[in-house]
Amino acid sequence: MGIADTYSRGRRLVVERPLVLVLGLVAVLFLLDLARKVTAGSLSVASLATFLEEGLILGLVLGLAGVGLSMTYAILGFANFAHGDYISAGAFAGWATTYVIGGLGTLPLGDLLLLGVSGDANAGTVGASVTSTPVATLVGFVVAVAFAALLTLGIDRLAFKPMREQEGIALLIASIGVALALRYVLAFVFGTSSSGLTAGDPSILTIPPITIPDFAILGFEISGVAVLRSPISITAHELTLTFGAVALLVGVHLLLQRTKLGTAMRAMADNRDLARVTGIPTESVVRATWLVGGGLSGAAGYLIVLWRGTIAFDFGWVLLLLIFAAVILGGIGSVYGAMFGGLTIGIAQNLSLIWLPSEFSTAAAFGVMILVLIFKPAGLFGGVTTA
Amino acid sequence: MSGDGSGAEDATGEVTATGGTAADEGTADERAAENVTDGAASDPDGEAGGAAGGPDGTEGGAAATGVGTDADRDDGLLSVSDLDAGYGELQVLDDVDLVVGDGEYVTIVGPNGAGKSTVMKAVFGLATYMGGRIAFDGEEISGDAPETIIRRGLSYVPQNENVFAGLSVRENLEMGAYILDSIPEDTLDDVFERFPILEERQSQRAGTLSGGERQMLAMGRALMLDPDLLLLDEPSAGLAPELVAEMFDRVDAINDAGTAVLVVEQNAKEALRRCDRGYVLVQGQNRYVDTGEALLADEGVRREFLGG
Repeated sequence: MGIADTYSRGRRLVVERPLVLVLGLVAVLFLLDLARKVTAGSLSVASLATFLEEGLILGLVLGLAGVGLSMTYAILGFANFAHGDYISAGAFAGWATTYVIGGLGTLPLGDLLLLGVSGDANAGTVGASVTSTPVATLVGFVVAVAFAALLTLGIDRLAFKPMREQEGIALLIASIGVALALRYVLAFVFGTSSSGLTAGDPSILTIPPITIPDFAILGFEISGVAVLRSPISITAHELTLTFGAVALLVGVHLLLQRTKLGTAMRAMADNRDLARVTGIPTESVVRATWLVGGGLSGAAGYLIVLWRGTIAFDFGWVLLLLIFAAVILGGIGSVYGAMFGGLTIGIAQNLSLIWLPSEFSTAAAFGVMILVLIFKPAGLFGGVTTA
Repeated sequence: MSGDGSGAEDATGEVTATGGTAADEGTADERAAENVTDGAASDPDGEAGGAAGGPDGTEGGAAATGVGTDADRDDGLLSVSDLDAGYGELQVLDDVDLVVGDGEYVTIVGPNGAGKSTVMKAVFGLATYMGGRIAFDGEEISGDAPETIIRRGLSYVPQNENVFAGLSVRENLEMGAYILDSIPEDTLDDVFERFPILEERQSQRAGTLSGGERQMLAMGRALMLDPDLLLLDEPSAGLAPELVAEMFDRVDAINDAGTAVLVVEQNAKEALRRCDRGYVLVQGQNRYVDTGEALLADEGVRREFLGG
């Protein structure tokens, strides 16, 4: 490797892929600017950590929801636009359960079931949170998962199964119809206004301010560098979401890699016809895929509401755009791509707040997606047809 | 396979005879026959003529072959009679008859577009079934789900993309035994013994294998249930010339171990040399049926399909 080699490689890079070079430079500039902001004190380490934390949490939720979307895409070959509304439906079912358990005896059942559309059931009277109503929260979570899974299966029977042999585009349009129907059933029952559900979210973990004690390097005295000036607190709901999401994602990984059913799912994603003639019962694999994908969407829905504290009939639909961004960035059809894409989109959206006003944060997330697609048109994990 | 020889030969004679009768009776068949004699079998015009003539010829053909195949209806392991099949609206097979006996090695040859692969696809429900009878072990299987057919002892290796590229070699083999409750370790050992390279590469992704290795993996997967009959669709397709003979040796070995084999082959000479019996399919219809040797020696077959 002489200088000439290095030179010709560099020259090739400049000539053939100037965009890579420009982007690399821009990325370096951003990093330098970030370092400058932190050292100059215009951006505190605490707020940078908060951006990262929020981004991570949003990313986990997007990943969780995206995995189901990607799985059904891989195995059935269509992008399911109803996925966002499975998230909403699961969340409503789960939270209605939490409210019924948490407020039974003090408030009328009807009020509790309708999550405060009418009557007195609300964040103040029921006081739902992981710490104050742990059992109600856990049961609600389980119900959200189960309800979304069964709803998904029922809708498959009703709408998608009769069209199994159709083109992806016909199924996609059918799924938009399903999405609209579901959303307005929710609006009909629970109303169209957003309601607050959780009562407080106590901070349960606090990272104290960190200051490096005085020390000396090469004779230079360096005294008291404050790495973290104000404490960072992590709330019970953030922690619950993080653990719940990570556990479920690990579960999906184990299912796909370690079980016969998971291997069959990957086989079907690879080649549907071959799976059929190999003797894999494809219809039951499809059913299992819907159950898992639907269950994950219900889990994501319940956890998002726990984290944000509010619920609205169309929150899943609104979130679907970001979920699609995550899934496409990761390579649609790839489960690991969905996880990774979710984290990338979540963190990009939150870190953009350092430079951009919050109105632009979604645009920034999509900007990152577009940039990735310019260089890897099939997505980061695209072409890896492993479910 | 000498035990089945006489019965098979009987069947052969009859079907060949019927072929003649059908050609005498049906005008469409006559036209098709002329095309073949002119050496126009691969001519697209000839094919179009055959397809158009198909429906017309159906009646005459069905009547004629019906008589001929009565005798061997339930003789074989796999017995196909008067099979009509195709894709969607397009009919490809017209009254095809085919019998594979217990432990027999049967080959289907014929020009491009003759419907050789369609026979297998129809048996496994991948092509549209339009009529006729497909029986395995004396029981009708047309319309059965592939997982049911496999349970009966019939396995199929498709021509292209016949391994799960994203799965490891071992996972591919395990998928071959999906319908069983647990992985049959004995059979897996047998497959590894037959194809040692697969054991060596068992944790490698199937997508990284060479063409020959993929073909072995696909065969190995189909053998995981120890089938009575193995359907192989053009196992030599895409293989380097020096690997083709090796592949045929492997098929021989599988057959010698007692598994009946039905092979569709482009490589007609080699296939006919190896098999017990061969079928020559032209434009979706039976043209010749006989032992491999007899077909290789037949003047008409040589002139039309084997290049003299």
